[in-house]
Amino acid sequence: MLVGTLVVFFVMKAAPGDPALVVLGDFATPETIAKFNADRGLDAPWLMQYLDWLGGILRFDFGTSLSVSADQDISALLAFRLPKTLFIGLYAMTIAITLSLILGTLAAVNRGNAIDTGATSLAVLGVSMPDFWFGYMLILGLSIGLGLFPSYGFIPPSQSILGALHSGFLPALAIAAPMAAVFTRTLRTALIENLDREHVMVSKSLGHSGRFTFFHHVFRNSIIPYIVVVGLQIRYLLGGVVIIERIFGVNGVGSLMVEAAFARDYFVVQACAVVFLAIVLGVNYLVDLICAMLDPRRAR
Amino acid sequence: MKLNALIQNRAALAGSTITALFIIIIIVGPMISPWGSGAFDFTAVLKPPSWSHPFGTDSLGRDVLTRVMEGARISLMISASGVLAAMCLGITAGLFAGYLGGWLDAIVMRMVDLLFAFPAFVLALFLMVALGFGVTNVALAIMLVYLPIFARITRNTTEVVRGDAYVQAAQVMGQSTPRILFREILPNISAPILVQASIAVAFGIVIESGLSFIGLGVQPPTPSLGVIMADGQEYFRRAPWVLTMTGLTVTIALLALNLLGDGLRDLADPRLKRRDA
Repeated sequence: MLVGTLVVFFVMKAAPGDPALVVLGDFATPETIAKFNADRGLDAPWLMQYLDWLGGILRFDFGTSLSVSADQDISALLAFRLPKTLFIGLYAMTIAITLSLILGTLAAVNRGNAIDTGATSLAVLGVSMPDFWFGYMLILGLSIGLGLFPSYGFIPPSQSILGALHSGFLPALAIAAPMAAVFTRTLRTALIENLDREHVMVSKSLGHSGRFTFFHHVFRNSIIPYIVVVGLQIRYLLGGVVIIERIFGVNGVGSLMVEAAFARDYFVVQACAVVFLAIVLGVNYLVDLICAMLDPRRAR
Repeated sequence: MKLNALIQNRAALAGSTITALFIIIIIVGPMISPWGSGAFDFTAVLKPPSWSHPFGTDSLGRDVLTRVMEGARISLMISASGVLAAMCLGITAGLFAGYLGGWLDAIVMRMVDLLFAFPAFVLALFLMVALGFGVTNVALAIMLVYLPIFARITRNTTEVVRGDAYVQAAQVMGQSTPRILFREILPNISAPILVQASIAVAFGIVIESGLSFIGLGVQPPTPSLGVIMADGQEYFRRAPWVLTMTGLTVTIALLALNLLGDGLRDLADPRLKRRDA
């Protein structure tokens, strides 16, 4: 994490373009630039600037925005936007996991027949669709065509949970589809591998019902690779969030990062990158914990 | 990998056929198309798909199919060059790290972990801001996204085979380390790398079109797939076919590359294939 912040900082520093010019525009004189840099502490050596910035992060203080919303606290911006991103992310994750548990199990149990072929084909298709295009297809079908969901705008969960679930459904589904596809394939492969193992045959020969055998001996053993893949996909999820938020007009951290990228607001882009990094590392840690809980052999 | 086995594997066969067809179409297509990719026709603006314009026309009366073929070539070239660069650097780093181990391995793998911790698209976006927009930088961003993946795969497989008899034999014969790495080890671990490469090219196209779609990648008038889709998105309600048809083309291309990757993986790992059959 520490090294991550170091990289984020220095790549941003090495970037062409001067923050002072972004704010002051073409009419900047050397004097106003110098004054701006002094006010922001940008005339200090890089190392001091980095330590200053790092110290700020630890206190959740990312400095102030340059151009996206001038002179506002970036932490305030993030605090306002992060809950929406987290809501959409969790929503998408829930959809993806639900879909994949159903499809993956159906495919594995019906291995080789039409249901398996159908679920597997759906999964390959899901991986192959660019998520933003799928988002537009959802808008075309469910929003413009059937009028079931709004095509733009998001009601934050703090205002109305139902409204958030309704207005967030299409963006969440667009992000979820490719993930559901990956999860389905993982679960199917894991289940099939376990279905062939000896302890499953023993359980069947002991007269245990098919359902008992499946849940106690097949499913439990398959769930760990599944969870590992779910954890890995968090990177994908956050990447999808960036574009999808932009398309559906969800003003979360993802769309903030894009806006900041357009406005060349280096500080905000930096802060967003760090937030995403922190989420990924946090989830990875959580996955490790869950796996250790499910499989004591891994807890060493 | 035997050609026979390739033909018998349905996924690989379908994937490689469609991919090959696709490449032929995007090279030959613009040449035989009656329309130029940049030719305006203000008498035929936003026309829905028809026989003369199978994908319809855009807001400047340009033939969308011709533009998609042009764009697919540009997107594929960006993605493939990014992935190729990632392979060169990643494989080299992975080979040395996996073979020599020790501090070199530790440093390389820490850097890989670091790059790996960023969401691919966030990393790409971040680099676009840092480097500026444009074709070369999109390819560079794709390279940095895939570099850690190739380095990790190569390193892990190298570590597995480095004690094998043929490697020991080469060592005893006094071959130089680079020679052992590239002539002895690399050919033996190429299968998983090739699988990854076909999938990486597919997702490289997604990264390119995603970046260009939100306006942070390839810039118009260069017609990459993302640029065409961004254009179509602006008048999506009036003329949904521009975005729909372009995206459909991307989906089919990715489907082919994914099938090819899946097929190659099954061929490289016979254990999985036999069980499924």
